[in-house]
Amino acid sequence: MTFDFIKLFIAAVFAGTPLLLGTLGEILTEKSGNLNLGVEGMMYMGAVSGLAGAYYTEIWFNGAGLPAVFAALIFSFLAGCLGALIYAFLTISMRADQNVTGLTLTIFGTGFAKFFGELMGQKAGGYVKVAAKTARSFGKLKLGGLSKIPVAGELFFHYNFMVYLALILALALAFFLNRTRKGLNLQAVGEDPSTADSAGIPVARYRYIATVLGGGICGLGGMYMSMVNQKGIWVPECVSGYGWLAVALVIFSTWNPLRALYCGLIFGGFTILRMYVPVPGLATQLYDMLPYVATILVLIATSIRQSKEHRQPAGCGHNYFREDR
Amino acid sequence: MKRILTLALCLALVVSLFFTLSPSFVFAETKETKAEEKEQSEEKEEEKKEDSKEDKKDSEEKEEDKEPEGPGANGKEIPLDKIKIGFVHVSDPSDMGYTYNHNRGTEKMMKDLGIEKDQVINKFNIPEGAECETAVRELAEQGCNIIFATSFGFEDYVLKVAKDFPNIEFCHATGFKAADSELKNVHNYFGLIYQARYLSGIAAGLKTESNLIGYVCAMPFAECIEGYDAFYLGAKSVNPDVKMMVMYTNSWNDPTKEAQVAQALIDKGCDVIGQHCDSTAAATTAEANGVFHVGYNSDMREAAPEASLTSAVWDWSIYLEYAVKRVSENKAIRVDWSKGLKDGAVDISPLNEDIVAEGTDKAIEEAREKILEGDWDVFTGPLKDNKGEIVVKEGETFTEKRSAPTFEHILEGIEVVE
Repeated sequence: MTFDFIKLFIAAVFAGTPLLLGTLGEILTEKSGNLNLGVEGMMYMGAVSGLAGAYYTEIWFNGAGLPAVFAALIFSFLAGCLGALIYAFLTISMRADQNVTGLTLTIFGTGFAKFFGELMGQKAGGYVKVAAKTARSFGKLKLGGLSKIPVAGELFFHYNFMVYLALILALALAFFLNRTRKGLNLQAVGEDPSTADSAGIPVARYRYIATVLGGGICGLGGMYMSMVNQKGIWVPECVSGYGWLAVALVIFSTWNPLRALYCGLIFGGFTILRMYVPVPGLATQLYDMLPYVATILVLIATSIRQSKEHRQPAGCGHNYFREDR
Repeated sequence: MKRILTLALCLALVVSLFFTLSPSFVFAETKETKAEEKEQSEEKEEEKKEDSKEDKKDSEEKEEDKEPEGPGANGKEIPLDKIKIGFVHVSDPSDMGYTYNHNRGTEKMMKDLGIEKDQVINKFNIPEGAECETAVRELAEQGCNIIFATSFGFEDYVLKVAKDFPNIEFCHATGFKAADSELKNVHNYFGLIYQARYLSGIAAGLKTESNLIGYVCAMPFAECIEGYDAFYLGAKSVNPDVKMMVMYTNSWNDPTKEAQVAQALIDKGCDVIGQHCDSTAAATTAEANGVFHVGYNSDMREAAPEASLTSAVWDWSIYLEYAVKRVSENKAIRVDWSKGLKDGAVDISPLNEDIVAEGTDKAIEEAREKILEGDWDVFTGPLKDNKGEIVVKEGETFTEKRSAPTFEHILEGIEVVE
């Protein structure tokens, strides 16, 4: 039962970061009143587009290293936006059912990624692989003296830049939702669109923008899976259910971006716990259930407490149609 | 504060739930199953003992080289430019692993025998379920003379369809039911991949400095266990102090988990990572951590040029050419086909000369010679399992009776982390 806490913590951060990104995107989406279950699909689209962006920047513009990293960031974000835009158009403009549209988006995004991933592979004649220099840019950072501090340096200043990006995004999202007028307007739209509409808030515009940007953040999470976890090689099953874990994490963190920070860490820790803290005789499958069991427990706890603050936005899952009133 | 408290409470609940559940359910179950397994394995061993005695007699007569007599299922000779061949695959070649490799065997077979593209029908991405039966049936109805099904879970469906089409030959990889099925047109095929793994293990054993090798393994099945046993024996043959740690991903293809498991093994001090799973994740994770890797199915030097030492690989074309030729000559196909290094059905991919330890090629060539001579094989006793019981006695050699792997003992020196 001995284990190395520092290594467990680091592995949990690495496992939790793509979850955190997916969760932040989904929190932004749900705060606008759209329940987008297509996180897995958007992550897949981001994964393949980010890799393709980096790969073709290297080939066409000879941009191994920093340009390829920026291309990966931009294209994965745009791909996530594209997926969310399809969803937003169908649910907000066409008033399609949100659950069904989200599930369809998952299937679409998975197929999109596998199709283009295979196409790239065939064109490349085998592996699609970014240059070693680009892959290293996604590796661990060395922050000078900070990384050298014993224990703390290893615990906090030794990650790739995506981890810090996710951290900043979470803080920015929390600030936006709670401290700016637009953020409060967005929450009003998510809670009660008809009241918001009466107050003169453009419901459709808020929903569109929040959903599309949320999708973009999910796309970044997908890019993490292909560029960091797989080190810039296209692997068909690279997202492997993390989108669904992110949806569960939204509930676990009770729609709060700051809480998502440590909940993401806990969730990430749950997914790799069995590899670091083995209990002899305990089935590994039980270990793999941990994140889901935790989500159920949180759902029970929040529903018992009837807290208004820690539940899904009231308008979430329902399309708003002004003439319905 | 209240919120944090509730969260902590939830966590405590989860943990306590686990510990209360685990002894009552899991332990009881595993104990029972383990007891059963033990009984079974004991029975098997007894069988094996008898078998191995018979084996010795058989080997003198060289029965294994004899081909079955009698006509094939089609009942007539079919020229090679008229023959139609069907394939059912669980994935598609983009996996860069098992299916990719099998498909490469198909391409080589087509080239060698001069078979045109329109004579081969490939069915990719067929799940191991009822869809498989439909796919096999479709191939049969499209006029295929011989159908290959390449995944373990296809077997029952192949048997079902084969009953309805006695004039078509069906070949199933990794299965074990053909010999008992009483269907003359169903055959199993696999290979002695453990011989190739043994050779690749030598590269790992010579490279490791921490004397701890990690192994990312898909499932706790005989095929995988036999694989890592052979890999470990290879490493141990050149480095007596080496130990191995095995961790399962419980999935054939979950690249994220494979990367995480590889990372966990490296964090535990392993400096060479072996694998029995589909993707390149273990190789790239090893490279990012500055340690080394031995792959499976495909040459992974391109994916991880600074880490991949070599890989154990298949050459399926050997069997495919054999089976297709037999059909064309109207001769029966062996019910259980399994070949190893000697026939080129398995081998290792070229060594990564820049990073392998000095003397690796020489050590591997020596072992290869030893296996090719035929008097010695990988599982030669005395071998102990990791509980200290002798599983192969001194002077005896375990050989597979059928094409499907059955060696399920986890050998001494291997620790399974679960």
